[in-house]
Amino acid sequence: MDVFTGLLNGFAIALTGTNILFAFLGALIGTAIGVLPGLGPAATIALLLPITYVIASPVTAIIMMAGIYYGSMYGGSTTSILLNLPGEAASVVTCIDGYQMAKKGRAGAALGIAAIGSFVAGTIAVVGLTFFAPPLAEFALDFGPPEYFALTILGLLLAVTLSGGSIVKGLIVLILGLLFAMVGLDPISGKVRFTFGSIGLQGGFDFVTMAMGVFGLGEILYNLESTAKTEIVTTKIGKVFPTLKDWADSKWAIFRGSLIGFFIGIIPGGGAVIASLASYAIEKKRSKHPEQFGQGVIQGVAGPESANNAASSSSFIPLLTLGIPGNASIAMIFAALMIQGITPGPFLVAEHPDLFWGVIASMYIGNAMLLVLNLPLVGLWVQMLRVPYGILAPIIVLFTTIGVYSVQNQVFDIYSMLFFAAIGYGMRKLDFDPAPLPLAFVLGPMVERSLRQSLLISGGDLTIFVSRPISGTMIAILVILIIVQSTLTIRKKLRGRSPVPPVQ
Amino acid sequence: MRTSERITALVTSIAGAAVMVYGWRTLNIGSIHVPDAGFFPFLCGAGLTILGVVWMWILQFTREKAAPAQPRRWHRPVLSLALMVLYGWAMESVGYISSTLVFMVAWQKVIEGERWPKTLVISLLGSLAMYALFVFFLKVPVPPELFLR
Repeated sequence: MDVFTGLLNGFAIALTGTNILFAFLGALIGTAIGVLPGLGPAATIALLLPITYVIASPVTAIIMMAGIYYGSMYGGSTTSILLNLPGEAASVVTCIDGYQMAKKGRAGAALGIAAIGSFVAGTIAVVGLTFFAPPLAEFALDFGPPEYFALTILGLLLAVTLSGGSIVKGLIVLILGLLFAMVGLDPISGKVRFTFGSIGLQGGFDFVTMAMGVFGLGEILYNLESTAKTEIVTTKIGKVFPTLKDWADSKWAIFRGSLIGFFIGIIPGGGAVIASLASYAIEKKRSKHPEQFGQGVIQGVAGPESANNAASSSSFIPLLTLGIPGNASIAMIFAALMIQGITPGPFLVAEHPDLFWGVIASMYIGNAMLLVLNLPLVGLWVQMLRVPYGILAPIIVLFTTIGVYSVQNQVFDIYSMLFFAAIGYGMRKLDFDPAPLPLAFVLGPMVERSLRQSLLISGGDLTIFVSRPISGTMIAILVILIIVQSTLTIRKKLRGRSPVPPVQ
Repeated sequence: MRTSERITALVTSIAGAAVMVYGWRTLNIGSIHVPDAGFFPFLCGAGLTILGVVWMWILQFTREKAAPAQPRRWHRPVLSLALMVLYGWAMESVGYISSTLVFMVAWQKVIEGERWPKTLVISLLGSLAMYALFVFFLKVPVPPELFLR
């Protein structure tokens, strides 16, 4: 099936009444979640994972989950601009100039350009996804256990190194995720591992339980500590459609942001946060007046917002073609696919073309829906920010509890979720980024299986990972990455110890 | 922060060593030619042990982080986690609706410190909404009420 036939079939699937409804629901929930600070897209998808059990069609379930993901990127800008508080991590940069614009009475223009930039970038990225994904999936058909081992390890390490936090802590979280994935029966020998006599643990930890605990409840517990009160910019939002000057000032920022976001999103571990940071840095560097950045420049909103939306769409490429989730939110969608009995990977395009093309087509529709949701309804989203956290938090707790219980109708799952909630809370307290945990959890079985299979094939010869061209290239990239990262860390440490005071 | 980080680093190393022993002695690591069920846990345990040591070493060179600008209320997450554990137990023992109502009341009073009228309104509306959504519309089989069993 060629790209155009596939896409046409995809539109035929995405344009059915049910799928349009669920794409709309996903976009709506995603925007709402993006607007609400303290609840990110990964947490939301985790909270809604049990719903995928009751949605009969996997295409419909994934269309909704994808809508939540890219919808949250749109919604995140609203909170950043009006509250100077990122609704989700990728909107951190938007706070800088977006909030300053709002303080100058230009909130409408900032919100408008963020929505339009997001629409343009989202569409560009989906076009890229349409043409990039099928050939990549075909290429991945040649992968054997050594290639999969090298690829998963590379993906996991990229996720740790690119997250920007402490690499040691990231690696600890990653190994913790691998260990949690091992609980239960060993898939090769059938031995029981890490159950310590508990019958409930013999089937292993459920992904939904882990994700809801670490991301849903863990985040709520951490937010409960906070005493900070935020103020909404109360000045009139004004016209949300940008003026011709605004458009002229930001069109290239949107275009550059779209391209940066698209390519960063493809890299496992890249994701929307890095894309928006990179876009802001490039816009500032290219500007004739870099000193104005931070004081309410429209390019400082247009570029990063476009980049984070493009990255959220293109991060579907490694998931749908290689079966590698690049970030925590995509790991949730990976789990949703597994719940529906579909294994993401190179065979997905051939075995489930309806799902592959249906989801891609729904993204075109979803992006258009989001533009409609975000421009005229911005006032409604602002009102939603007034719901007190004291009401929102227990309702979310009730949602997660009944959601987790409904999966297997056992209270044991609630206790498992609370165990993970305590871990998620502890991680945030100790400054650990929990993002690598779900990635390692979903990829853990693949890492272990491919490692053991590779060693069995080669009779224990470790050179199998470097002697084959594809896995050898990936291992080489891995080695270069480790060297570069170590050099940068050591240089940073040495600079930190130098007696010369830092330049202001 | 540094003391708690030191303790966590030490716990990481000890936990890693325990995983290594468990993988080696209880599960059996096999050999590099034919790896067994304990092989991968052993490698992960070794990784944790090394990372814990590296972390402790790094802590020697890092400066203490400044305290957060906003004061944090650590008792609220601890209390809410305890409430959630009790809620899980009560759900099965007392029934879904009663336990949900009591949980909402307890949350509003203990965690949020709300007044009774507001507490009762929020709790009643919240519990009814959860019942309508999950039991009435989504037909989720919830634990029955104690007095109806």
